[in-house]
Amino acid sequence: MLDRLPLPSQFDRIIVQGSIVAGMLGTPILVVLLALLLLSRISAPEFVFWLDATVVIAGALGAVLLRNIVHAALALIATLLGVAGIFLLLANEFIALVQVLVYGGGVTILLLFGLMLTNAQDEPVVSDGSQKPFAFGVAVIIGGLFIAAVIDANWGARVPAVVSFTAFGERLFRDFLIPVILIAILLDIALSGAFVNARRSRDEDEMAPTGGEARS
Amino acid sequence: MIPMENFLLLSAVLFAIGFYGVLARRSAILILISVELMLAGVAINFVTFATYLDSQAFSGAIFALFVITVAAAEVGLALGIVLRIFRERQTANVDEVDTLKW
Repeated sequence: MLDRLPLPSQFDRIIVQGSIVAGMLGTPILVVLLALLLLSRISAPEFVFWLDATVVIAGALGAVLLRNIVHAALALIATLLGVAGIFLLLANEFIALVQVLVYGGGVTILLLFGLMLTNAQDEPVVSDGSQKPFAFGVAVIIGGLFIAAVIDANWGARVPAVVSFTAFGERLFRDFLIPVILIAILLDIALSGAFVNARRSRDEDEMAPTGGEARS
Repeated sequence: MIPMENFLLLSAVLFAIGFYGVLARRSAILILISVELMLAGVAINFVTFATYLDSQAFSGAIFALFVITVAAAEVGLALGIVLRIFRERQTANVDEVDTLKW
């Protein structure tokens, strides 16, 4: 099992290369945004927003377009942490913290773990399906519809309000108590289901003894 | 102050990118990653409306929390299934898992 996992040095190389690419692509955008900020064309919150949006969109494009699946997963981490920043800009620290903990920590580790256990080492570079043009067309139509709807709608000039931890907790555990309990049950069932599903059964162990491979 | 439309446009773009990934990718785990992108877009939308339009009750923020939780459960379960399929068929490519295809 261990020899199938990429070495830490490979991860170091991926991260260094990724940082170089991100720096080369990000620096012009940063310069443009800084110029706009210094010329007072955009306010400081907007500057942070556009910077964060750049990270989110670039990471999302990387996760969807990169051929190397480990690179795609690392790009996803950038996107999810950028989304946490967006939640901070939306004055909702609690969701931002949950995003970092659950996505930045749990989900990405789980996904990388899944990649390693399936095909990261055997075929780290995958090709996409033949339905790419179709997928592109549908995505453009859906995105265009949403964007048109957002531009068309008029909500007036609204001022965001800060959601405090206390208010959030009161609302969550007073008004949404039953959904919270249901979510707890759902998580319980999902995780035990995942374990039962991915576990090697006793028959399979006897039929296919797999050398030094760890029993999952 | 940041206009509300900025966040909505960002979430729409994120959703569309994730949608493209779901349709174009063939590795099951990369499809999962794309679904995560779509869910992130939806969560941004929820929190935006909660913060700008519903700052007293902010139900949207609570729903975003539930979206994140259910997504975590979904990833755990889906990875279990993918590992199972990989063990049975030595592939995580969804095009090759076509026993039920008519």
